[in-house]
Amino acid sequence: MIKDITIGQYFPGNSVIHRMDPRVKLLLDILYLVILFTSQSFTGLIVALFFMVMCYIIADIKLIMILKSIKPIMPLMLFTLILNLLFIKGDTPLWQWWIISIYPEGIRTSLFMIIRILALIVGMSLLTYTTSPIMLTDAIERLMSPLKKIHFPVHELAMMMTIALRFIPTLIEETDKIMSAQKARGADLESGGIIQKAKSLIPILVPLFVSSFKRANELATAMECRCYHGGEGRTRLKTLKTAPRDYLALAVMVLLFAGIIVMNCNPIIP
Amino acid sequence: MNIIEVKDLCFDYTTQDENGDVTERNPVLKNVSLDIPEGQFLAVLGHNGCGKSTLAKHFNAILTPTSGKVTVCGINTSDEDRIYDIRQSVGMVFQNPDNQLVATIVEEDVAFAPENLGIEPKEIRRRVDGALKQVDMYEYREHAPHQLSGGQKQRVAIAGIIAMQPRCIVMDEPTAMLDPKGRREVMRTIKQLNKEQGITVILITHYMDEAAQADRVVVMDEGRVIMDDVPRKIFAQSAKLRAVGLDVPQVTELCDMLRAKGVEISNEIIFEDECAEAVAALPLKSKKANITRKARVIDKDEKSEEIAKLDGVTYKYSVGTPFEKTAVDNVNLSIAKGEFVGIIGHTGSGKSTLIQHFNGLVKPTVGTVFINSQDIWSKDAKIRDIRFKVGLVFQYSEHQLFEETVAKDIAYGPKNMGLSEEEIEKAVKEAAESMGITHLLDKSPFELSGGQQRRVALAGVLAMDPEVLILDEPAAGLDPKGRDKILGLIKQYHEKSGKTILLVSHSMEDIVKFASRVLVMNKAKLFCYDETDKVFERTSELVEIGLDVPQITRLSHKLLEKGIDIGNDIYTTDRAADRILTLL
Repeated sequence: MIKDITIGQYFPGNSVIHRMDPRVKLLLDILYLVILFTSQSFTGLIVALFFMVMCYIIADIKLIMILKSIKPIMPLMLFTLILNLLFIKGDTPLWQWWIISIYPEGIRTSLFMIIRILALIVGMSLLTYTTSPIMLTDAIERLMSPLKKIHFPVHELAMMMTIALRFIPTLIEETDKIMSAQKARGADLESGGIIQKAKSLIPILVPLFVSSFKRANELATAMECRCYHGGEGRTRLKTLKTAPRDYLALAVMVLLFAGIIVMNCNPIIP
Repeated sequence: MNIIEVKDLCFDYTTQDENGDVTERNPVLKNVSLDIPEGQFLAVLGHNGCGKSTLAKHFNAILTPTSGKVTVCGINTSDEDRIYDIRQSVGMVFQNPDNQLVATIVEEDVAFAPENLGIEPKEIRRRVDGALKQVDMYEYREHAPHQLSGGQKQRVAIAGIIAMQPRCIVMDEPTAMLDPKGRREVMRTIKQLNKEQGITVILITHYMDEAAQADRVVVMDEGRVIMDDVPRKIFAQSAKLRAVGLDVPQVTELCDMLRAKGVEISNEIIFEDECAEAVAALPLKSKKANITRKARVIDKDEKSEEIAKLDGVTYKYSVGTPFEKTAVDNVNLSIAKGEFVGIIGHTGSGKSTLIQHFNGLVKPTVGTVFINSQDIWSKDAKIRDIRFKVGLVFQYSEHQLFEETVAKDIAYGPKNMGLSEEEIEKAVKEAAESMGITHLLDKSPFELSGGQQRRVALAGVLAMDPEVLILDEPAAGLDPKGRDKILGLIKQYHEKSGKTILLVSHSMEDIVKFASRVLVMNKAKLFCYDETDKVFERTSELVEIGLDVPQITRLSHKLLEKGIDIGNDIYTTDRAADRILTLL
């Protein structure tokens, strides 16, 4: 049923990684990106990738999920592969046909890029697999809070995120209902060209907009009734606290960083 | 002590031009004065647009008076510095549970108000847990709102208010969008808060049985308070209530009927228990009513001609995933032409999925659907043509309106059928006539009242001139007047056109007024499908599967407990009155 959809890709769990402070998790994920981009050797990338796989095992997320998260970016990876293969030139071509020539350097770079993208996606996915959208929003709000000083609307953005997340399932359900209602009046949503199809969306989009405005209006009143007055002086039910495990994770990540830098200087596989 | 004092309150909605000058004044509240003592359970009645919601919004300073004064806990609501003190003391719960939950997790949502008030996290935790336990939703604290039922969501909304520790809660039709089970849950919670916590409750409602449970009832009409008394004194004046578009409980109506026939019975009866006692106290000559029932005349044609048939229909959601669920389980039934069938069953019983089989919105996983003896999923059947033959009006159908004018919106279906201009015009005109909205054809559907919008949506389906008309809860959320109006129009249409009608409703009172046959769904299975009288002979089974039977039916059971038998087929007040008269 449409109600059963999961928002984002969060898999609830109780592992060490799940319980980490989302702020730390977010920062470490950024550090992981830096590591990936500093790494100049295959060894470095493979070590980083291996490290992430270990994290998946610790978080008790099935490794098949890695494949699932790669699927949507497959085209991008293929594109990178082909581009690098074709345009990186070296001294002696390995294989030549018409204007296409492939050099060993091209093969090396394209493989390197692919592994880097792979490691990147695997790392980013782990964050969304183990952190609920609301925790993530919370972490972003708190990490960005210094920006409030320059009047950047941090709280307001986070509130908008939360409300959007809250209403996605409601609106999906509503769209489904309106579509059924218009189909019952003979709406033809499948056939016809692009213009015809766009036109046939009007009977669905107009009611959806009307009801969204109505919802927004009612929600605003309900929020006012519950004393909402922006982020000023607001406290939170769940305060984020860093625990020893967060420092441990930080230490592990720093070690990984150091290791990668060392490997950059003494690559085992160049 | 009075928690809320309203003195000579007037409120105008104003329309302003670009310069901010007032161009139009629309007075909504006219000289309202009302004192509400602390700890009272007050019900406010009135038809839609009588100003009761506007009044409610004055109780926590969402609106402030145009003139007059509203004092809440000793604070004038026009005092802007103390606005949060007022909102903290008087919480408000609204009709649509979806549009008042802010967070994606139940406990975070309940914490929303205390967070806004800047309360310490530890104290918030204590209040959130306490509030959730009070509304009996503690074990759902980590659920997402969209996984909950309507009644559960509404209880979370109430918990979100309790977490502010208010002295008063104002509820604006909190049960209007709920099914009978959700209504019972919410009413139980409201009464508990009032009796056990001493919280003042102001309940705006269209349900007379809910108002009957209050300490005091205020009736509003045209922006004024016209009645203010204890429930039984209010309902004793049924003529006056009907004049302002309201209703009385069924047993009150019964007593009125009996009195009209010269029976001496009190006019201040609102509950079935006291009614049963009052009837038992009458000088009865006999204890068993003379039951004569006209056998329904069955036309030969009616019996033979079958318009729709389900043959072994099973429907499963999300087949092959962990969410797999059987919504309709091996249903066989046949519907005769011209029949008016009532469909009942609680939420999740599969009735909504069942009706979507008739016009091919849902394709059965197993089984066959026949319309006019044609298998609608066979190769030579076109599913869109089936949809024109079987019109389906969804719940809250006003949400599907989208055109600039009412006429254009009604024309959408006929246009999809590929009719000519003249034919479309004729279809629109006829449909508008049967729904009594001819005068609205040139207006925008979005400037109409809820009841009118509902009728426009209905006309939009009628305009396709379907052979079978299926209506899913056509009266949901309307006030008594709007409900009677729309159901009356549907009945009229049935009599005039002789079309087959399937009416889904939670309210058996509504169904039994019109339906000659009743179909009951329970747990995805067809529980029974029979003539209305025969279905009601099985009332105790219906109660067992969690359905709400009319108050008058409950009365007949109470009487039977007292040894007075007025028959096991009581579902209208007329019949109950007739039977009781035979006892005298």
